[in-house]
Amino acid sequence: MDAFAGRWPGTTRSSSSMRRNPAAPWRHVDLIMLGSIVAIAIIGTLMVFSATRGSDPDSVNTGTLERHVVFLLTGGTTMVLVSMVDYRKFREWALIAYIGVCALLVGVVSPLGTEVNGAQAWFQIGGFQLQPSELSKVAVILVLASLGAQFGGDVDVRRLGVLLAVPAVPLILIILQPDPGTAMVIVAITMGVLLVSNVRAKHIAALTLLGLTGLVFVLNSGLLEDYQKSRLTVFLNPSAGLREEAYNLNQSKIAIGSGGILGKGIFEGTQTQLDIVPEQHTDFIFTAVGEELGFIGAATLLVLFGILCWRIWRIAQLSRDQLGLLLCVGVLSMIVFQMFQNTGMTMGIMPITGIPLPLVSHGGSSTIALFAGLGLVQNVHMRRFS
Amino acid sequence: MTNAESPRYRLAVLAVVVLALFAALFARLWYLQVLTSDTFELQAESNRIRVVQVEAPRGRILDRNGTVLVDNRVSTVVTVDRVIFNALDDDEAADMLNRLADEMSRYGSPATVEQLVDRVNDVRYSQYAPVPVAEDVTEELKIYVEEHRDEFPSVAVERTAVRRYSYGTRGAHLIGYVGEINDTELEDRADKPKTYERGDHIGKTGVERIYEDDLRGTPGRTVYEVDAQGRPVRILEDLSRPPIPGDDVWLTVDITTQSIAEDLLKDALDAARNRPPSGDNLPNEAPGGSVVVTDPQDGSVLAMASYPTFDPSDFVNGISSARYAFLADEDGPRPLNNRAIQGQYAPGSTFKLISGYAALASGLREADTPYFDTGSHTLENCEGQCTFRNAGSKAYGTVDLQRSITVSSDAYFYSIGEDFWNARGRLGEEAFQESARLFGFDQETGVPLPSEQDGRIPTPEQRKAQYDANPGAFLERNWFTGDNVNMAIGQGDVAVTPLQLANAYATFANGGTRYAPNIATKITRAGSENTVKRTFEPRINGNIDLPAEWRDPLLQGLLGVTASGSGTAFGTFQGFPLNEFPVAGKTGTAQVNGKADTAVFAAFGPVPDPRYQVAVILEESGFGGTAAAPVARKLFDQFAGIAQPPELQPGGELVYPVEAEDEPTQEDLARVGSAD
Repeated sequence: MDAFAGRWPGTTRSSSSMRRNPAAPWRHVDLIMLGSIVAIAIIGTLMVFSATRGSDPDSVNTGTLERHVVFLLTGGTTMVLVSMVDYRKFREWALIAYIGVCALLVGVVSPLGTEVNGAQAWFQIGGFQLQPSELSKVAVILVLASLGAQFGGDVDVRRLGVLLAVPAVPLILIILQPDPGTAMVIVAITMGVLLVSNVRAKHIAALTLLGLTGLVFVLNSGLLEDYQKSRLTVFLNPSAGLREEAYNLNQSKIAIGSGGILGKGIFEGTQTQLDIVPEQHTDFIFTAVGEELGFIGAATLLVLFGILCWRIWRIAQLSRDQLGLLLCVGVLSMIVFQMFQNTGMTMGIMPITGIPLPLVSHGGSSTIALFAGLGLVQNVHMRRFS
Repeated sequence: MTNAESPRYRLAVLAVVVLALFAALFARLWYLQVLTSDTFELQAESNRIRVVQVEAPRGRILDRNGTVLVDNRVSTVVTVDRVIFNALDDDEAADMLNRLADEMSRYGSPATVEQLVDRVNDVRYSQYAPVPVAEDVTEELKIYVEEHRDEFPSVAVERTAVRRYSYGTRGAHLIGYVGEINDTELEDRADKPKTYERGDHIGKTGVERIYEDDLRGTPGRTVYEVDAQGRPVRILEDLSRPPIPGDDVWLTVDITTQSIAEDLLKDALDAARNRPPSGDNLPNEAPGGSVVVTDPQDGSVLAMASYPTFDPSDFVNGISSARYAFLADEDGPRPLNNRAIQGQYAPGSTFKLISGYAALASGLREADTPYFDTGSHTLENCEGQCTFRNAGSKAYGTVDLQRSITVSSDAYFYSIGEDFWNARGRLGEEAFQESARLFGFDQETGVPLPSEQDGRIPTPEQRKAQYDANPGAFLERNWFTGDNVNMAIGQGDVAVTPLQLANAYATFANGGTRYAPNIATKITRAGSENTVKRTFEPRINGNIDLPAEWRDPLLQGLLGVTASGSGTAFGTFQGFPLNEFPVAGKTGTAQVNGKADTAVFAAFGPVPDPRYQVAVILEESGFGGTAAAPVARKLFDQFAGIAQPPELQPGGELVYPVEAEDEPTQEDLARVGSAD
């Protein structure tokens, strides 16, 4: 397994000084990726502000905006910190992070956690709500990538079992909260990493089949509450869902649809400014983009996501080792799935689940976890020669 | 490692999946924002705004002098929303009503739980609007309930504009009442420029109904921008429209005259009830009656009283089932009936004016053709009942047309009835009836009031048709001489409304012009009494040929009724300045099967240019001269200016100045011998 060997014949590791060393990590920051992250975050900040400024022109509410900026700065700092330490070192810490996150997940479903909107998913720490399930996504990526790299080219059924058992623990704990959205993200991450690691094609096919069967089973069993099932299926038949879900979905589509090509203008969207779309600054933030910035704005945001995904995918290809490759694929799977699921939900082509739109939705834990993941990717890019 | 398992290949698969997902998002975005954006734009707009209809104040109703009879006031009403109320469980509901009744009693609007329950369950109230359970409650209660909203689910205290009747029940039948619009009315008015909604009020009877289009304001609307909870954020001024108040209707009626007429009517019925019946007559029940005053020169109605009456304010905020059941009960006193246009009575001897005219006009009589009245009239060539007697079998000796009217000789007019039937070969079977129709009988007068009745002038044709349609119900299919004889004195099947009677006499009084009575003079714009929207000109329904040689003997006969010592209303008009203010009239006492007689009187003055036409009809009240004529006399006292006019108080009470003058007392009037 030396697919990337010899790809950069001109590189050398024998530079005399750091300053002159062309392989120095700081010389290889992916600026295009960084640029797309900043651009998406700026649009997101604007839209969070628009959705939370209130409808009173004399007293603009900036509380959420301030919190959002603090989250972004914290996230950015996390990203820088994560990218400074060689990602190969994380292999040693992966297990500790994983065990820590599992402990937090156990804790959160215990009476220590706080229930919000029917899901026991938060620790209330002062004014901040820690959501361990968000952190678990990064931990799962780290462990899966470490194991996948360790297994190398030979993934037999036993090793496959290990690769499946790793995400299964947090997955079950998250389902217990219950938080089907984040559970789906864990599944998506696992599938992405398994696809690119050397799991045999027939195993992947079998797993996919098993997954679909399991999904049907879960929907028809008593594991999910009716309202959760309704949220998952309302997009297929908006008139048959519970009233609230159908209402939310309908208002969401109205907001996006009424934006038209050019949008109603920032702060001018009636659905947004009059608080008609629920949970708009978090899970339904894309409706504000669609309504106020129109097709032009929403498509621009999607294109920026496209650029981000392309860069992550490219970094995966450029990675000098299997670990870097799998880390990038894990983060890519997470971002693509969340973005597709979230925007798809607001447009009525995906189930309603509580998944934030990466870099855009307002939320502390998810922002920090996401930036940590992006820091890993940048890390891989920066150290592809060292 | 096969190609399919190489990381490069797997990454390519991943890229394809990601690209497919992006393609799906773009496609969906394009569909929502470009292809179907229009429908979403509309929905977003309707999401954003709430339109609230603002009811416009209804126009006022004024009398001919500009006295405001009806306007609007604000009423504070406790309402219960049935949808919410019915969703409460039984204990909650009972508990809530208990507390509401307690608080209402504590804050000065006493109520019991039973009353509240009755109202909430009353089917008469709209299903679409909250039920009013108490009206005109105190401001303190409103504040209390609003501050404790959570404790009173389904209850609201609202201010609404309701009709205010400055003079109580005065003119109730004429003015009418308003009520909530029903399905039929809503359908009928779908195309009207002034839109109606469920729960709106609409004129149900009287002037309120006839001039609905003028009185009703144009509803305005307030367009609110609302948030997701429906709470108003701001008012969108450019989409909102203020309500435009309705226009004012000015009546022809003088409210003081109206009030005098109403009081006189009630007093006369009370007096009749207390008067012992003469001879073997049945006792006077005097359940109801009507007084109509019009201006013969243009047909305008100066007063229109009907007894018993009702209180239009009962209908404000919706009337309860129990109250409405009483008012509308067919077997009860029927106070909602406007007897002036809906009551149909045999006119008795007041019809002799028409019989006399018919005889002259058809050439059957000269005015001075003498007739020897023996107290009865026997038909020629007759079988069965052939002798018809005068009232009291009184004999008047030799009479002509004028005298037979003054003394009210039945025999004279019997002979006219007989002659008409005998001359049917030459004049036609309905020559007599034709004359009656010229005076406006057997048809609506055209007064702009709803539910006016036609009255009835019977014909041989009609008799046959009725009998053929329902042979069991009628004794005879054929018309006999006796039918004409009865008709000549206003009996048999002849039926007239008080307004028809007044209008027929007014037609004679003004020289032959039959006007359709008007009840309104003009409509003026809201808030500007000088801006006239339209006026109501006199409407002529027909003309009667009335040359002096016909008119004079008839008129002299009518003048004799009040002025001649043998006149049937002579006693009643004792002390009245007939020289300065000549009054021509005719009494009538109509027999009704199984009941006391109907007392009738019709009169106009001052002759020769009369400005006042009075018709009085009192049910089951005895002699026209005794019971009905005094009502007219007292009205003419006012018209002639010989009695001090009373002062009309707010609320409708009349206060008469202390009389210094000599006036006939009740005993004087009762003593007057009036034959008929």
